[in-house]
Amino acid sequence: MSKQVQTASFLLRFTQNIFEDEKGESNVQWRGKISHVQGNDQQSFSEISDAMEFIQKRLSELTLSSIEEDATPEEKEGILNKSMDIWKRLAKSYPKMVVEAIKDPKAQVSQIQEQISSKAEEFADRLQLESLKPMTKSDFNDLTSQMSDLAKAVKSLQRKVDKMDKKIR
Amino acid sequence: MYTIQHIQDLLSAKEKADLKIYTLGKFNLELDGQLISDNWGRDKAIQLFQFFLISRNRTALHKEQIIDRLWEEDGSDQDFKVSLHGINKVLEPNKKTRGQSKYFIRQGSSYKMNLDHVWIDSQTMESLIEIGNASLSNQPDVAMEAFEQAVKLYKGVFLPNRIYEDWTTTEREKLQMLALSAHISLASHLLEDQTNEAIRLMEEALNIDHTWEEAYRIQMMGHMLNGNRPQALRTYKKCVEVLEEEFGISPLPATKQIYDSIKNA
Repeated sequence: MSKQVQTASFLLRFTQNIFEDEKGESNVQWRGKISHVQGNDQQSFSEISDAMEFIQKRLSELTLSSIEEDATPEEKEGILNKSMDIWKRLAKSYPKMVVEAIKDPKAQVSQIQEQISSKAEEFADRLQLESLKPMTKSDFNDLTSQMSDLAKAVKSLQRKVDKMDKKIR
Repeated sequence: MYTIQHIQDLLSAKEKADLKIYTLGKFNLELDGQLISDNWGRDKAIQLFQFFLISRNRTALHKEQIIDRLWEEDGSDQDFKVSLHGINKVLEPNKKTRGQSKYFIRQGSSYKMNLDHVWIDSQTMESLIEIGNASLSNQPDVAMEAFEQAVKLYKGVFLPNRIYEDWTTTEREKLQMLALSAHISLASHLLEDQTNEAIRLMEEALNIDHTWEEAYRIQMMGHMLNGNRPQALRTYKKCVEVLEEEFGISPLPATKQIYDSIKNA
């Protein structure tokens, strides 16, 4: 192991905007910013799943950076396995943290919970550890990058569909 | 109820303090009127001093807690001892080894900073904003004076040389948000009478957070008050671009309403 203890810290900022929409109905919009302290990088988001993805990517990178090239496949698998377990536990406990932190109306919290739960399951499905065993670091990075591109493309498509949907209505 | 005198007291406390600590935009110490050089000690000593600074309003912390929070597995009892000695050597070179420190209170193995002879820019900024917020509804003049002085103190992020260290993050975020709110409150108040200053303040606010939509709104209104319709429209366009790029969302109805009024002017 190159370094056995490493820390990744994240700062989440939520900004609430309450406004009246075009129909005169009160509405709430959340905007967020997540920062990775040790990497000094940050990302804005309006969907909590984007923040989760940001964290997941940094944690995966941290784990990969800790695995030495000459580690045995068993060691690599074991570390990745444990790292993903921690990530899954974090993802599953996140809704409670959000509820306590922002004390949002029930409906919105429920929406966030659903997003997080589905995202956590999605990650668990995507990262089948058995399939990582024969992979090199480079393969894994390529895959992560492709997944990220795919997620962005889906998000962009979703926005377009939403816009079209609004127009039709 | 606060008065202008409270603000003046906060500002004049700087002149009376033996040790002045600058944390916003750059970390500097000024002792008895003399600036202490940047590399006044080992990095661990500077870290320890900054940690005491951040924990100044807490009860005294046990040295084990400090070591654990600051250095995790990379720190030892010896590091703490050497670092504290390093700080004392710079701040109180004539202090006897076991003599009472002027800047630190020791209770057994627990320590905290003694603020009696110290002035800190970030703490003063925070107190000024507290006065501003408390006076906003019933004493706007006091509030604006407090915000104006607070904004002057904010010269950049808290301890910029420690942005990669998580024990500084909470304080940095808190101060950044306070500074942003002071900029917005002050600019909203100055918009009609000192339009250019309001626009400038919003430029500063956008430097703190370029996604802060209210800052774009105030700038758009400011440009219109100056009769500069093209600039107001450009500001809206910039706002739309930033929100789309960062969040994938459109501006709020309040911003769109201002845009519509500019477009139809």
